[in-house]
Amino acid sequence: MSSTAASQPPASAPAGGPAQGRRTPRFAAAPLDLVRRFLLAREGSIIIVTVLVAVYFAISLPASSNFVSSANFQNILPYFAPYAILAAGEVFLMINAEIDLSIGGVYLFAPLMYYEIVGGGVPLLPAAILAIAICCAIGVVNGFIVAVLNVNSFITTLGTLFTLSGLTLIISHAEQQAMPGAAVTSNATGNHLTTFGSVFGAGIYSELIWAVVIVVVLQLALTRTRWGLHTIAVGSNRIAAAEAGVKVRWVLIRNFVVCSGCAGIVGILESVRTDSISPDPGTATQYLLYALAAAVIGGTLLAGGAGTVVGALVGALFLGILQDALAIKGVNADYVDFYLGLAILLAMMINVYIGRARRRSGLG
Amino acid sequence: MADQVVPGEHVVAPTSAADDVLRVEHITKSFGPVTALRDVSLHLKKGEVLGLLGDNGAGKSTLIKILCGFQRQDSGTMWLKGQPYEPKNVDNARALGVDVVYQDLALIDELSVYQNMFLCREQRLSLLPFLDSRRMKRETRKSLDDIGINLPRLDVPVARLSGGQRQSIAVARGVYSDADILLLDEPLAAMGAKEGAMILELIARLKEEGKLSMIMILHNYVHVLESCDRVNMIVDGVIALDKPTAETSVEELTEIVVDEYRRARLAAQAEEALRAATPDVT
Repeated sequence: MSSTAASQPPASAPAGGPAQGRRTPRFAAAPLDLVRRFLLAREGSIIIVTVLVAVYFAISLPASSNFVSSANFQNILPYFAPYAILAAGEVFLMINAEIDLSIGGVYLFAPLMYYEIVGGGVPLLPAAILAIAICCAIGVVNGFIVAVLNVNSFITTLGTLFTLSGLTLIISHAEQQAMPGAAVTSNATGNHLTTFGSVFGAGIYSELIWAVVIVVVLQLALTRTRWGLHTIAVGSNRIAAAEAGVKVRWVLIRNFVVCSGCAGIVGILESVRTDSISPDPGTATQYLLYALAAAVIGGTLLAGGAGTVVGALVGALFLGILQDALAIKGVNADYVDFYLGLAILLAMMINVYIGRARRRSGLG
Repeated sequence: MADQVVPGEHVVAPTSAADDVLRVEHITKSFGPVTALRDVSLHLKKGEVLGLLGDNGAGKSTLIKILCGFQRQDSGTMWLKGQPYEPKNVDNARALGVDVVYQDLALIDELSVYQNMFLCREQRLSLLPFLDSRRMKRETRKSLDDIGINLPRLDVPVARLSGGQRQSIAVARGVYSDADILLLDEPLAAMGAKEGAMILELIARLKEEGKLSMIMILHNYVHVLESCDRVNMIVDGVIALDKPTAETSVEELTEIVVDEYRRARLAAQAEEALRAATPDVT
């Protein structure tokens, strides 16, 4: 067996790289090879870009600005963790070569449902779970329309985005509401925060922990489970996947549910954190677009078949750092979106360039 | 149900014998206005290799897709080892022991060699719901070695492999899936002579072992006579010929196809003449 391996020229071995014999243990690879593998991993490029951006600002901003401090890191969190969670769910659909625009609407709708359910006399935790379950049901509806009725997912979820935003305005009369149970969930000074409050968004690192846990779980699901494999298969070649026996519709519906579920969690976390429910469709679109940007910047293809949840997290971090640093730098608020747009373009061009190098080298 | 109706001038598979592992009767299938299968009846004995021939568009692939559970027939019945066979989907058919190698290979470009080999038959760790990649790689390596296909790495996406390599993976996936009936739709289509010979040799060896029964679509008549025990030819959605390969020849098989073209041309001319003779209604 090993003799055949030695005599066979490595037909598809990476060009220019050390030929990887089939028996080579994973850790025996030269350190340089490991570095190269990291650089060429799907997440690799955005991690490098993010680190470069962070280092650039750490050096260029005056020390008095405290860019490198835990206080500033806490400032970044709300500009990053919610988008990371939203993007994590979106990655699954984008790998399916579908898209879910309704996450903005679900994000808006979830806290309102939570508010109404608590108003009906249900305790906070069951109410939160129930509200997230309703969001998952919205995912089932999206998935059914796309997978079974064969309506394009962009159109379908554009419809649910408007429907949910509208429904939120109708039910709430477009009035901002105080978050129910603020006495135990608000992190205002002097208030005693309960476990529920600190877990669901009001704790300083609560959203970060949610984001990291969700990202780790979904990344493992994507790379280590049947579900992940089938998700990639459906996005890469839907007909071949169906022929091989993959239950395409089931995979699609499941991913829509995950996506909506993530959006529901973010909705509740954010309203607990901010102590209020603000039915403003403007924020819905903002959250939606930032989440899509984080996923795409992170290295997930809009065309489907490939993606990474960890990349989406780093993509969200990239956006968070950029926003925060521009704010510290005192950039006029009018310029922030402009710079953000340019940065996204630049990051994506570097991403594409590294991606091409990755394909040339023969690595995944 | 064992008695079969002989439709028109066509020769139909002889009535069931006890050793039939698969038997289909009067299968029809249409796609909108297009009739792919008009009335197909065939049977497959245990350990037999049945060659399925027919012109492009004769309905061979449609028949294979019905047999493997990917599509459902409009009418007609199927029997698997004496039991009614109504596969709900590909997974279901596979569980019943029927697997397939599609003409389009059904490989996922983005997935690696071993992930494709085990797509929908994934091996999982015993405690966690995670995939047992190590075991799948090991078994993939064993299967590929067994056929004689040498790939240096099993964790590269199949998109990077040559047409012949991809095809061998698709064939290996079918052969090593624990099926006892294997359907092969043009298993040599993308292969060079060397790889093709390797696959034919594999099929000969499997035939010798006698555990696997196969239905194989091939377009090379020489390969058919060499590898198959019996041939069925589909013409125009109906089985037009059913003979042991020992009793037929490349000439006879070619003649049927030539004859089909001749008849098609005559029919077209007749239609043309009819149209010319009929006054235009509009």
